Amino acid sequence: MTNRVGIVEVAMTPGAETKDNFLDQVFKISKEVLDKSGVSRDDIGTVISASSDVFHGGMSCANSYYWDAGAAFLKNGSRQDGESLFAFIYAVMRILSGNYDTALVLGVCKGSENPENDVLTHFFTDPFYQRQIGLNETIAAALQKREYMDRFGITEEQCAGVVVKNLKNALGNPYAHVKKKVGLDDVLASEVVMDPLKAMECAPKSEGIIAMVLAKEELAKKLTDKPVWFKGYGSSIDGFYLGDRDLLEGELPNAAKRAYDAAGIKDPKKEIDVAEVCEPYAFQELLWCEDLGFCGRGEGGKLLESGATGMNGDIPVNPSGGVLAMNPYVSRGLYRLAEGFLQIRGQAGERQLDKQVNTALAHSTHGFAGQCHAVAIIGS
Amino acid sequence: MGRPVAIIGSGQTHHGRRFDVTYPELVKEAVDAVFENTGISPNDIEGVVSGTMPSMMEGVALTHFYFAEVLRSVGKPIMKTETCGSTGISLAFTGYYWVASGMADLVLVVGSEKMNEGDSQATMTTVVEPFYQRYFIAGAPGVFSMQCQEWSVKFGIPEDKVRAAATRLSIDHHNDAFDNPYAHIKKRLTPEEVNNARIITYPIRLWDVCPNSDGACAMIFASEEMVKKYGLKPAWVKGVGYSGEEYWFGDSEKAIWQCAIDAAKQAYDMAGITNPRKELDVAEVYNPFTYQEMLYYECFGFCDFGEACDLVLKGVFSREGELPCDPSGGTLCTNPIGATGLNRAAEAALQVTGQAGDHQIPGAKLSLAHAMGGVDQYNGVMILGSEK
Amino acid sequence: MKKDFYTISNVIRLPHKYAAGPSFTRFYNGLEEGKIFGTICPSCKKTFVPARSFCPGCLANLDEWVEVSQEGEVVSWAYTDREFFGMPGKPPVILALIKLDGTDCNFLHLIGGIEMGDRDEVSSAIKRGTRVRAAWNDEKKGHMLDIKYFEPVS
Repeated sequence: MTNRVGIVEVAMTPGAETKDNFLDQVFKISKEVLDKSGVSRDDIGTVISASSDVFHGGMSCANSYYWDAGAAFLKNGSRQDGESLFAFIYAVMRILSGNYDTALVLGVCKGSENPENDVLTHFFTDPFYQRQIGLNETIAAALQKREYMDRFGITEEQCAGVVVKNLKNALGNPYAHVKKKVGLDDVLASEVVMDPLKAMECAPKSEGIIAMVLAKEELAKKLTDKPVWFKGYGSSIDGFYLGDRDLLEGELPNAAKRAYDAAGIKDPKKEIDVAEVCEPYAFQELLWCEDLGFCGRGEGGKLLESGATGMNGDIPVNPSGGVLAMNPYVSRGLYRLAEGFLQIRGQAGERQLDKQVNTALAHSTHGFAGQCHAVAIIGS
Repeated sequence: MGRPVAIIGSGQTHHGRRFDVTYPELVKEAVDAVFENTGISPNDIEGVVSGTMPSMMEGVALTHFYFAEVLRSVGKPIMKTETCGSTGISLAFTGYYWVASGMADLVLVVGSEKMNEGDSQATMTTVVEPFYQRYFIAGAPGVFSMQCQEWSVKFGIPEDKVRAAATRLSIDHHNDAFDNPYAHIKKRLTPEEVNNARIITYPIRLWDVCPNSDGACAMIFASEEMVKKYGLKPAWVKGVGYSGEEYWFGDSEKAIWQCAIDAAKQAYDMAGITNPRKELDVAEVYNPFTYQEMLYYECFGFCDFGEACDLVLKGVFSREGELPCDPSGGTLCTNPIGATGLNRAAEAALQVTGQAGDHQIPGAKLSLAHAMGGVDQYNGVMILGSEK
Repeated sequence: MKKDFYTISNVIRLPHKYAAGPSFTRFYNGLEEGKIFGTICPSCKKTFVPARSFCPGCLANLDEWVEVSQEGEVVSWAYTDREFFGMPGKPPVILALIKLDGTDCNFLHLIGGIEMGDRDEVSSAIKRGTRVRAAWNDEKKGHMLDIKYFEPVS
């Protein structure tokens, strides 16, 4: 790709549920990002959003509702139903096609207007088999965690360690939802929601409205001193029925390989400075680290224990606190990308990593036991 | 405009009330059909785009999970596009941009719907927010009736003329559908039947409205390299346009329908079209309502504002006319919402590649495909041509 | 001017009628007779249960039906004593992936017929590899829960 796409600016809401009107929130964030980037509503080329009708207050045709608030009036726009990294890559495609110079990318999910996540994830099921058994994402994750422990000896302490690390990191993140210092014992003693998953190992339900302005290379350089460049993307989806899959050999390695190849990355652990991964269930951070190539199969727990994924480690994972600290289901991919963006620009405040951050990885997942994954690589 | 992109094949299911199959089996029919029609191996597909109406329709959310296998997407990148009724054309745009960007050379696009498994009007009511408008906007027909009234009053078109023109369209399209093996409702109607049919929401009557159809459509988008590789007749994407208006119904007029005008203009500018009625050979307009179809003719510049009824009655837009519109029968005869916009693109592609069989418009080289969505909120237009 | 803003509530109820098609219908009929049916892929020869109409890997049509064993091994399990939306019955409940003998995929269902009040009790009774067998309801309706649960084979 000779023509690069840059992320120019980001604006986002914190994760705590609020009683603000949803449209007001979307308007505020859209306006903020346009003002910060210096691109007017008239000039923005296209608007691509991510939202989901189930994680959207029961409002169907989701982007109809926030079209005006999301600066899209009389614009050529579109929407991805599912995960927000899909919206990001679609916006990148629209700019790379040459049809647009700039794009506004939105991820919208107002947790306070939705029932608990598992009421909604229950509807990912087919009506014939899995729905009659009552399957939801937490049950699928519990079955996956049990396999992970049985087959590779991952311990409860290692899983709890992810929670301790991420919630500690979240203390330095003004956008995080959960702000609580917790110790291993707190996590291990928390209530069992779906054995072997404990309450503190499961992500909350959060608010998350986020916007980004993307621009083609020459324009990005004019709009900001420090554009963050899109380097590569990969995504992949696994089969549908839980019983047809090996829950520990999913599609993340495929998605990651596509992203690494596009970005020219051969040794991820060395070449990536920070990784924001989507870990709605604590053990999944360990599993995803293996899939991303940061360590071998079954070694995720040891990797955590070594401190390699800590703030000062070789491959810091989730300095933002990750999804365990803030979980707006649909927008969480863009929040991962935003953290990478801020870290590269040196704008991550209290949680800015000491080392020079040049390349960041953002990961998102949705679907039962990580059925679908997307990975984006950005760099300075 | 980016690198050239073409549609090199499509597949449709038999649309209708499909209680003989589950939803994934229905999608599989269309996907199997496109691979059979083109001879392309599913393994060569580099990306898949899927889309349907929102989960309230069939009661399954994020259906790309459910359809992963039948979409042939396991192990591949997937995208899921949804923009209400305009989903079908937005799906086509996603496929187009994926290839135009250079990020893939061969993309499968699939739209689907199983309307009869849910309550479509109840679903459409959930598009409306619960604060102000939901009590008043229950289902689609009411909204389009209001639009029709607005239009006919604004341009001073006598009621009986509008009725006569709408009836002409209904009879023509339901007739045309007999020559489309995939269409849902095929019927020989008389003017008396159409004029006296049961009222849905005045002035719209039963035969002015689309059915609830189950169906799916699959399509393959290809780069120039792939067009050469497979040697299939290409329908080149010459222009794309899309626009969305205010969410709140009543914020702007719908007779001179700005987003429809803008969508067409964007597409015409890209394709270099200045006189659509002369330059287009066939138009697959999204026509769930006969009345609204005439509005599109005006907004797309096929004729002046207020003129459509006269031209319809003269037969200008019939199969033998100057600009045949919806020779497939259109949305009026077949409406599986998530697929419908894509069906328009599939039909438009079949026309310019000479593959439309019994409803082929002879010598068609340039066609238009269109879809509308939301509460009169979105319009999308795609121009396809036999020349690059 | 009021300081507190309103919050309005909305419960949306939508009716759905799902077409089961020939394959799922036949599977449900099997349940009514106390049988568990699977289908075999002509291409990869794998046996899938519950019965499907196409092979997820090969996409071939599955026309060969077989009654599968009602016994198998636990692959994974999850236990809860709390209510959750869409729950099959009342808590406590154990959901499980079970590999029925002679099949090539895991069957999602429930484990029961053991003391479930305490998760420690459950963890000692059920492990990966524990052999279980289907236990049926007397009254069957052609629903996955015609099988009450799978219980450990003593």
